[in-house]
Amino acid sequence: MKISKQWLDTFFASPLPPAQELADALTFHAFEIDGIEKLSHPMTEFGDEVLDVKVTPNRGHDALSHRGIAKELSAILKLLLANDPFVLRPLLAPVTTDVSVELDSKLCKRYIAGYIKGVKVGPSPEWLKQRLEAVGQRSINNVVDATNFVMFNMGQPLHAFDAGKLGSLNIGVRAAKDGEVMVALDKKEYTLNSSMLVVTVADAPVGIAGVKGGMPAAIDETTKDIVIESANFDGVSVRKTAQALKLRTDASARFEQVLSPEVAAHGMQSVAALIQELAGGELRGFVDVYPEPQKPMYASVTVEKVNKVLGTTLTGADIADAFSRLGFVYKEEAGVFEVQAPFERLDITIPEDLIEEVARITGYDKIPSTPLDEARGTPLVNPNFYAAEKAREELVAKGYSEIYTSVFAEAGERMVLNKVDSVRPYLRDSLLPGLAEALAKNKDNKDLLGLKEVKLFEIGTVWPASPKTSSRGGKGGKELVMLGTVSEKEEASEKILEPVDATSYEILPLSNATRFEPFSKYPYIVRDVAFWVPKTTELTTELITELIKKEAGELAHKVMLFDRFEKAGKQSLAYRVIFQSFDRTLTEVEVNQSMAKLSRILVDKGFEIR
Amino acid sequence: MGSIHPISSLIREANQIFLQMGFTFAEGPLLESEWYNFDALNVPKDHPARDMQDTFFIKDEPGMVLRTHTSPVQVRYIESQIKQGIQPPYRVIVPGKVFRNEATDMTHEAEFFQIEGLVVGEDITLAHLKGTLEQFFSKLYQGKVEIRFRPSFFPFVEPGVEVDMRIPDNLGDKVAPEKLRGRWLEMMGAGMVHPSVIKSAGLDPAKYQGFAFGAGLDRIAMLRWSIDDIRHMHSADLRFINQF
Repeated sequence: MKISKQWLDTFFASPLPPAQELADALTFHAFEIDGIEKLSHPMTEFGDEVLDVKVTPNRGHDALSHRGIAKELSAILKLLLANDPFVLRPLLAPVTTDVSVELDSKLCKRYIAGYIKGVKVGPSPEWLKQRLEAVGQRSINNVVDATNFVMFNMGQPLHAFDAGKLGSLNIGVRAAKDGEVMVALDKKEYTLNSSMLVVTVADAPVGIAGVKGGMPAAIDETTKDIVIESANFDGVSVRKTAQALKLRTDASARFEQVLSPEVAAHGMQSVAALIQELAGGELRGFVDVYPEPQKPMYASVTVEKVNKVLGTTLTGADIADAFSRLGFVYKEEAGVFEVQAPFERLDITIPEDLIEEVARITGYDKIPSTPLDEARGTPLVNPNFYAAEKAREELVAKGYSEIYTSVFAEAGERMVLNKVDSVRPYLRDSLLPGLAEALAKNKDNKDLLGLKEVKLFEIGTVWPASPKTSSRGGKGGKELVMLGTVSEKEEASEKILEPVDATSYEILPLSNATRFEPFSKYPYIVRDVAFWVPKTTELTTELITELIKKEAGELAHKVMLFDRFEKAGKQSLAYRVIFQSFDRTLTEVEVNQSMAKLSRILVDKGFEIR
Repeated sequence: MGSIHPISSLIREANQIFLQMGFTFAEGPLLESEWYNFDALNVPKDHPARDMQDTFFIKDEPGMVLRTHTSPVQVRYIESQIKQGIQPPYRVIVPGKVFRNEATDMTHEAEFFQIEGLVVGEDITLAHLKGTLEQFFSKLYQGKVEIRFRPSFFPFVEPGVEVDMRIPDNLGDKVAPEKLRGRWLEMMGAGMVHPSVIKSAGLDPAKYQGFAFGAGLDRIAMLRWSIDDIRHMHSADLRFINQF
């Protein structure tokens, strides 16, 4: 989520340290930062900085807002949160009878309606536009902007309806009927079904609950009376609805995370005040339907357990400090902490949740590095891994190289659903097709590889076809690990890799490669050159090889000695030169030129080209 | 002489290092039940990861998935030990293939390799996790490698962390390419096994606790050998494999 540094400042008595410091603080104690953007404003001297905060899925309920991030920074940097909108209990007064709210679904835990008459809808003031632009939102009008501001400020999605266009003030929340249709604020028509929740007025849908409001009651310059909605809708239902309609919004993204219904009251209080400030009007009052108020949540942990899990030697005072900084109310007695989690922290339930809070606020750099105790006895050898390693050694010694191919095949008994690329959706029942394909591909590159014969093996999982007489439900037999081999001289074959018992592993060699050398995707051209070397020559074979590598030119990718023999006092050497470029296909002409040059040099050295 | 696949070399090496620390090598099925892949690991039924988007489900086989991580084997292993009457402590690594229903590009593949680690006992701590990973990476890179944690979240651990490592600058090109040395690199997710998972596996979370980690082997291989494209791993191309 985009978080504006200037916006964060509004929660504190003095401006916060620069964004990079805030980013480091969050990275090491709360959330990863995906980048910092600098914005410049004509209105302010210093401009703004926007952090892209990656709020983890377990903190979506409290940290997808500036207040949430400010609260985190307050704990991490030990700075008092001077303006916390959650501190005062919201007084949603007066109650109005002009509006009625009927909840007809357990998927709505709370619905608060706020009714303001006689507002003047117009452009927002500069400060509000700046706030919204900093987090990538467009300014629409003062009323809509106020609802968006409060959502990004404290995490409560809000919506405002044009009460005049609604025609009635009898609000309902119920399941949509199958096939029920609504035109949303994006002007698109959505077809709903009974798994989705709608907000209705006189039983007609005016909003897809928690996702998007309806077009008919949109706020515009003609709007005079408004009803504001601050509610709490079931996260799973909102997520599935947004997914099914392909309509993910900032509101749905927050409800998906499961919000505390307590936040709705703070949201309403804040937005009602803000709208009156920006657009005037007379507050008629609120209706708050909240059948099962959220109960206080408690979790407890002992000092002993904290240290037992973390491997630290923290004191009660250290732990108390972490809780205080987080604003957790706690009682401590004889090393036992009982903590009342703030209402918005729905993730604090078990002792381990508290332990994590202590650890991250204290800092993971305070966790010591402790090796495990010396192992007692030698671990058992895994017979399947042992068998695989044995097979690898035997085959590698015979010149086979190991490949891994995809488990996905063009045919098979079992199919995966919804594969992103839709290619090869079956689970393979054999290694053979993959091996055969790999052999064919690699044969083309034999010269480049300097191989006389391509030999491959794979140890991999297959899902064989079920026996025709299988009485089991389900498809296919059990998955098997097979060892498959193929070479230019032998057809691909495979067998089950049987486990091998052993008391200890062989010490087998590891790759001593230091670096992968990327290879060209362009075709290569091969040229051979063979020549007689007089016995009297001072040059060793190694030096001759070096000479050829040097004189074959830049385009020569590889030089290999592939044959030598002696006859009548002379030695014959035969070299293969592979020409290849990284950025283009080479021509015969270029290669011929290089070879001609090489030949001239060899002749000059006194070698007789065969 | 042929070559083993670089991933196999890495697994062989990891086994050698962890063996010294008393770890057994375990494995589990690639086609896994939803229960082991998600529920036992404290991933709730309505979690987005269980959507078709990220996970491969099998036609006509509800409740089965291609495993999305090697973590299910944590639970399988503990269960199998209990069945044999063997109580903790346990130390186990689980290298193996995992699957994500994702588009393929230079750094993403639908099938890739992970290595899981699990240590469970009466007194296993987060400090042991730090010490163990420090030892592992120091052995892997043959020098003093530093480890640090950053807060993160996975449903099956609490606390949950991301693990970064830093290879000292003076270790030289043979150990790691220059651009990797002296910098903090994100290597894996880890944490203390969630009590729900300990319970699902059949142990008493009041008595036993432990740490777990999961790393992408393709990523470790790519960093170590400067491999530019993850698609080389399953290419079956000897121009790649024979370099190792």
